[in-house]
Amino acid sequence: MITRRSFIKQGSLVAGSLLLSAPYSCTSDSTIPGSLGGPNAKAGHRIRTKTDGKIKEVIQEDIVIVGGGVSGLSAARWLKMNGQSFRLLELEKEAGGNSRSGSNAISAYPLGAHYLPLPNVNNTELLRFLEECNVITGYTNQRPVYNEYYLCFEPKERLYINHHWQEGLIPSEGVSPKDRSEITRFVELMDHYKNLQGADGKMAFEIPVHESSLDPKLLQLDTLSMDQFLTDNKFESPYLRWYVNYCCADDFGSALKDTSAWAGIHYFSSRRGHSENSKFDDVLTWPEGNHWLVKQLSRPSLPYIKTQCVVLNVVLTDKGIDIDFLDLESNELKQIEAKKAIMASPQFVNKHLLHRTASVDYSKFNYAPWLVANLTVSASLQEKRGEPLCWDNVIYGSNSLGYVHAQHQNLTIPKEETVLTYYLPLTGTHCAAARADAEKKNLGEWTDLIFKDLEVVHPKLRSETSRLDAHLWGHGMIRPDPGFIWGEDLRRAATPIDNKVFFAHSDLSGISIFEEAFQSGITAAKQLMKSA
Amino acid sequence: MKNQSKAFELLLLLSVFVVATCGLIYELVAGTLASYLLGDSITQFSTIIGSYLFAMGIGSYLSKFLKGNLLSWFIRIEIMVGLVGGSSAAVLFVVFEQIVFFRLLLYAQVILTGILVGLELPLLMRILKDRIEFTDLVSRIFTFDYIGALFASLLFPLVLIPYLGLLRTSFFFGLLNIAVALLVSHKFGNELSSRRSLRWSAWLGIALMVAGIALSDKLTSFAESLTYADAIIYAKSSPYQRIVITRNKNDWRLFLNGNLQFSSEDEYRYHESLIHPGLSRVSDPKHVLILGGGDGMAAREILKYPSVTSIKLVDLDRAITDLFKKNEGLLKLNNRSLVSNKVQVYNEDAFQWIRQNKETFDFITVDFPDPSNYSLGKLYTLSFYRELYNTLADQGALVIQATSPYVAKESFWIIDQTLRKAGFQTSPYHCHVPSFGEWGYILAYKHDLPEVKQLPAGLRFITERSWTTMTDFPADMIARSNHYNTLNNQVLVNTFEREWAVYFK
Repeated sequence: MITRRSFIKQGSLVAGSLLLSAPYSCTSDSTIPGSLGGPNAKAGHRIRTKTDGKIKEVIQEDIVIVGGGVSGLSAARWLKMNGQSFRLLELEKEAGGNSRSGSNAISAYPLGAHYLPLPNVNNTELLRFLEECNVITGYTNQRPVYNEYYLCFEPKERLYINHHWQEGLIPSEGVSPKDRSEITRFVELMDHYKNLQGADGKMAFEIPVHESSLDPKLLQLDTLSMDQFLTDNKFESPYLRWYVNYCCADDFGSALKDTSAWAGIHYFSSRRGHSENSKFDDVLTWPEGNHWLVKQLSRPSLPYIKTQCVVLNVVLTDKGIDIDFLDLESNELKQIEAKKAIMASPQFVNKHLLHRTASVDYSKFNYAPWLVANLTVSASLQEKRGEPLCWDNVIYGSNSLGYVHAQHQNLTIPKEETVLTYYLPLTGTHCAAARADAEKKNLGEWTDLIFKDLEVVHPKLRSETSRLDAHLWGHGMIRPDPGFIWGEDLRRAATPIDNKVFFAHSDLSGISIFEEAFQSGITAAKQLMKSA
Repeated sequence: MKNQSKAFELLLLLSVFVVATCGLIYELVAGTLASYLLGDSITQFSTIIGSYLFAMGIGSYLSKFLKGNLLSWFIRIEIMVGLVGGSSAAVLFVVFEQIVFFRLLLYAQVILTGILVGLELPLLMRILKDRIEFTDLVSRIFTFDYIGALFASLLFPLVLIPYLGLLRTSFFFGLLNIAVALLVSHKFGNELSSRRSLRWSAWLGIALMVAGIALSDKLTSFAESLTYADAIIYAKSSPYQRIVITRNKNDWRLFLNGNLQFSSEDEYRYHESLIHPGLSRVSDPKHVLILGGGDGMAAREILKYPSVTSIKLVDLDRAITDLFKKNEGLLKLNNRSLVSNKVQVYNEDAFQWIRQNKETFDFITVDFPDPSNYSLGKLYTLSFYRELYNTLADQGALVIQATSPYVAKESFWIIDQTLRKAGFQTSPYHCHVPSFGEWGYILAYKHDLPEVKQLPAGLRFITERSWTTMTDFPADMIARSNHYNTLNNQVLVNTFEREWAVYFK
């Protein structure tokens, strides 16, 4: 006779073994070919360890730009347009910063930044650049007409929520009326800020950031976290909070509690782009992401860009500036004696290069680490119900930002395979800890983590993936912690030294977006020319 | 001896669990398949579940007539349930298009499975009644029965359908059923009569189920091939689409992804209407471009103009153009047009091709599949039409197949509006193609509509008088729309989808 207890136990054992044998028998742990890359960390560490040795060559130059990210390239473009002579030193093999791309037989794909929202109509410098590269083809009714090939195609965005792909990213399907009304209230509040002017007559939230109103009432928001702001305004809906958190992660790589409320609102309330042939919230994008813009930006300066140069020291002298650098190609130590310099390198690098007299607390500059992975997958992925594959595909509740379809802007009919670009901001409160943690992971661990996330929406993804190329950005994005954007340290770090050294980088705006980097390059170049 | 009896009970209770799980799975398979194939899932599920439960009642009633060695009966029934239930999905799939009385077969199968499953529990209770105290027996059997049901109902939507698919699921559970039979027959060989034949039939059943699992994919495609009315003479999957050609006496039909592209009986109506109203208006046409049209039928009509010296045909799918270059039967249909030395075939993507092309053409034919998805929708956008505008000679003409203005009238007029936005003057027209229904085209040109110069001899459908009737649109084919289709709105795909969905309902 079996007892009740043993009977239940046996029953559950049988059930358990059946469960285990049915679905899991088909998964195999065959490894997928791929790579794990990132910025040239080895060369980067040379900055810290320095190199003793003899300087093999001394070069004379008017102006040196240190760093070939978007801000450096933008400064170079401006100097070139104004007939200045300069040299740009870049550590990596290719300029572009985190707007670079990779490619394989199937498609080009972004390694980092991948889109540009339609610029505001008063951002004339950026508009002029977009005209230069034929992104804006003309103006009708005084509104820009964008090149249709670069405007993000339909279908644009979908969100996997309640077991279904819905259109758009704001949670709506299966969301209760109470949550919906809270979301509506939030959207209305953000619209209010969008049209708000400060006491000084400037727009409350503007791009570039430093064009925004200095009204203390508004700047007060920078001392709060976005999390606190939501709580103070009685926004409690988990759907809304998830969405706002997603947006902060998207633009800043940070979670609600680590994001300044001013920055959080800026995300929603600073974009007032207008266009004759698209909606205001459309974006410009390319298969290779913002690398396309970088290519246009760097074209006139290409002969003056020297890559694989690790700048080790920047020393102010009576005559000008001595810049020591290691030429990785020849492995020789060299020096440029320049009259002026633009430091278009991030502040976590500058702190090792410059010996400042003015005190800047560099520990206030926090950079969120990111993982970007490109998955080469079957073009006929197993899909869940709802909207078909879009440009941007987001999973509700996931820590990742989902993935972008790299081939979306491709005009051709898809073949057997395509590429998905997966974005994972590593949103720990302590960036350094999150970075150290991320650097320990190997490709296999990242692969498992990515599939675990994406298999919710593509159950057979592992078998449908032929390659996975991951790219870890240790210092992916400057993080607008509460108090940072309008704090003293940022202002001090951006202040030129002795009319000789000027600063350009998106981290000096507190927000890591193309528009800020682009503008900061121009601002630094203008300051430099004015100082002459 | 005590151990022996304990093992016996355990095994039979395990059988109850498996039997209950399998029983519910068969029911769910039948319900799912019926709603897939017949639609209206509420009705299908409700009636299937009702008949199944009722049939189980019949089975329970019939169980009293089983006499003799009950254990042998149990094994026999297990094997039968496995065979009937396990193969049920496959059988229904394959015969769906073949027999008139699909519903009859469906319910016959459901009732048969139900009766067999209904026999199992009473039989088991009778087997176990002398070995377990009745109170315990009833409680345990039904507990296992209901746990099995819960297990099945969770497993089915969450694991089985997404991972195994319908066919494999039902074969797999058939396999489990028969495995139980085999296990029981091995464990209790000494209590059985005719155990050899029982074991043999169990092994045979297992072999059938395993074969079924292995061949599930083939069976699915076989079943799909049966949805074509006529004999399939060619079927192949290219990287882009599934190509099927059927033939019934002299009627050849080409299907791409299951959609009819032409019937040789009336394609002359479609292709004459596509080419002649436009091409006959171009004076002295020399260079012609065909986008799509890999079957060579449009090229055949164009070759009727002796002034044409070169035709460039851009069709993505080499599998199609090769087929229409090489197959004798198909070469007869297109009058060997694709092997003419005036015709050059480019197997390239049309959008890419047109963007890098520098040549201009006197006449352009655009004959793409309907804009049923976003990839195809790109070929109907303002950007594409602007490229076409730059590719068309100043005095040339261009024609576009523009889906059915009867079924998808808004879609049709969106295409017209998009062409106008790109700078063209347009003349929309339509004709009746029996195998398609009412079909629409748009003629586009840069200045005024040119006069008809001369129609080639020997046309079967188009005459000088056709234009007047073709350009006359009855009220139910007119929709005024200001929308035009761009890459960043793809309004056409959404409209098209909506309009055809209504039609199919």
